[in-house]
Amino acid sequence: MSVNRRWTSGMLATEDWWSVWIGLALYAASLASLAGADLVGWMPRPRTWEWTDLTQAFAWSKLFAPAGAAYVAWHPLASWLTAYVVLTALLAIGARCQRVDVGRFVAGFSVLYALTWVAWLAGNELHLTTVDATVDGRNRYREAALSWGLKLGEGAPYLLALGVGLIIGNFAKGLAARLAEAAKPEWFIKTAIVFLGVNLGAQMIQASGFAVQLLVTGAAATFVAYLLFWPIVYTLARRVFRLKRDVSAVLASGISVCGASAAIATGGAIRAKPVIPVAVSMVVVIFAMLELIVLPGAYTALFPDQPVVNGAALGMTVKTDGADAAAGALLDDLMRAAHVAATGEQWQPGWILSASILTKLWIDVFIGVWAFVLALVWVYKVEKRAGAVSISPMEIWFRFPKFVLGYFVACLSYLAIAAAWPAQAAALASGTGVVAGPVRTLLFMLTFVAMGTITDFSKLRGMGKLALLYALALVFVIAPIAYGVAYLFHRGLMPPLGN
Amino acid sequence: MSFPELVLTYERDRWRATGLGLDVTHAELRGLEWLLTTLLAERGAPPRVHLRFDSSALPTWLRQYHAHYCNYVLEIAPAEGR
Repeated sequence: MSVNRRWTSGMLATEDWWSVWIGLALYAASLASLAGADLVGWMPRPRTWEWTDLTQAFAWSKLFAPAGAAYVAWHPLASWLTAYVVLTALLAIGARCQRVDVGRFVAGFSVLYALTWVAWLAGNELHLTTVDATVDGRNRYREAALSWGLKLGEGAPYLLALGVGLIIGNFAKGLAARLAEAAKPEWFIKTAIVFLGVNLGAQMIQASGFAVQLLVTGAAATFVAYLLFWPIVYTLARRVFRLKRDVSAVLASGISVCGASAAIATGGAIRAKPVIPVAVSMVVVIFAMLELIVLPGAYTALFPDQPVVNGAALGMTVKTDGADAAAGALLDDLMRAAHVAATGEQWQPGWILSASILTKLWIDVFIGVWAFVLALVWVYKVEKRAGAVSISPMEIWFRFPKFVLGYFVACLSYLAIAAAWPAQAAALASGTGVVAGPVRTLLFMLTFVAMGTITDFSKLRGMGKLALLYALALVFVIAPIAYGVAYLFHRGLMPPLGN
Repeated sequence: MSFPELVLTYERDRWRATGLGLDVTHAELRGLEWLLTTLLAERGAPPRVHLRFDSSALPTWLRQYHAHYCNYVLEIAPAEGR
């Protein structure tokens, strides 16, 4: 019997569903704060530190400490170890259900976890992060008497994590191969996105108009990706690059819609040889990495006064969920650092990231419908095989990105709890703040390291035509149109002020 | 509705279908489907079979992006004389 005939199939067997289960399990644990219990406060939260101060009088507590007040007496290393055990156990259970080699997964994850923390802690050194600006009457740069600083804000750990991953992926390929079983950036980021549902809920309480604007832009982004980018790229591939129909369709989906997942969905829908989406996905993953490296810094430098436009534009331009969310997080931190340095105003964190994520999620949601439409077009028009082959509409559900459900369950349940028990607002914020804060950031950091680890730029060799088409489409079609659409909807929109 | 099932994979540049006592390969999917319909019609198989692509045939690093490749139903025309 086919496992794919029941709508419930895959619920315990795919990383997409496991991001929902792990995300919602930790979120549910955080809600114990409503009953006065702190089940997630063991999570360590890094602190900013200064090199001379630390080396003169070393203390782990200067680097990080438990996030919850109930765990303040814990030694920092105990909280670090607890976080390692809990996360490894949850992910290992998911890996076992996905029939991954659990021993290799745990070994690889342990290395990634350690590297991630090294990058996270190192990236919080004041010379890397602190901006020379007075906020709420304090200038931490001056207080620390720093003689120099990179002033990267909270983006510094992400850049270090990415650097560590890329060095492994490109210069220590033996190690990268050994980490491959655990280097799952899509799983890490999808779990983190479930936690971001909490942030969206909090943002909707604070400014419901903002969320509505993001939803409208998301709808426009969906139209642009499927009905504008796709036909343009497909036509370019067919007419200019003379690629075959199936290669053109898979490539058009990969470049225009949502990266590797769209390439695979389209390849499956039109029943292309799997080598086609595999090749296209390799190109997509490498270009997504280039976009992640270039775009946040470029948008920060070129359009410093358009934070939300920049976030939404990233959501339409950067393919793969991991790269988009990572780029959104980096943009959020770089833009806030640049803004505070220029004006002394502190934008609240997370709003630029939300713009990036929500725009992308809208596009993701419709990939199943698009793949189904392409499947019908291929059967009835291209192959003319009506009556010989039939496709079930259930394929739409099988292709639906399930982590989006987790994201909205977290968001809507947060809103419902906040509305039902307004007196419990502080308790709600303290518990969920841990999963939406340091736990979510840890998963983002893991994503940066894992993405770098699986990105091998040498794989672009031999991909000449595909890579050239991708580059041309990105620079002359996707990026400018995406920016134009984002500007149309969000120009002048600013995140609220505050920490 | 459930139909008898064949498992589809792609290995060494060839499509392969296994199940219902068959193990058939072909370089092109259409050629594989023609072989299947012929063989199944000769055996008097039911009019429809379900082809499920085994996603474990995709590279491990790729499956995290999308864990589902394709499923579809192949119609089997009865063999002449049946």
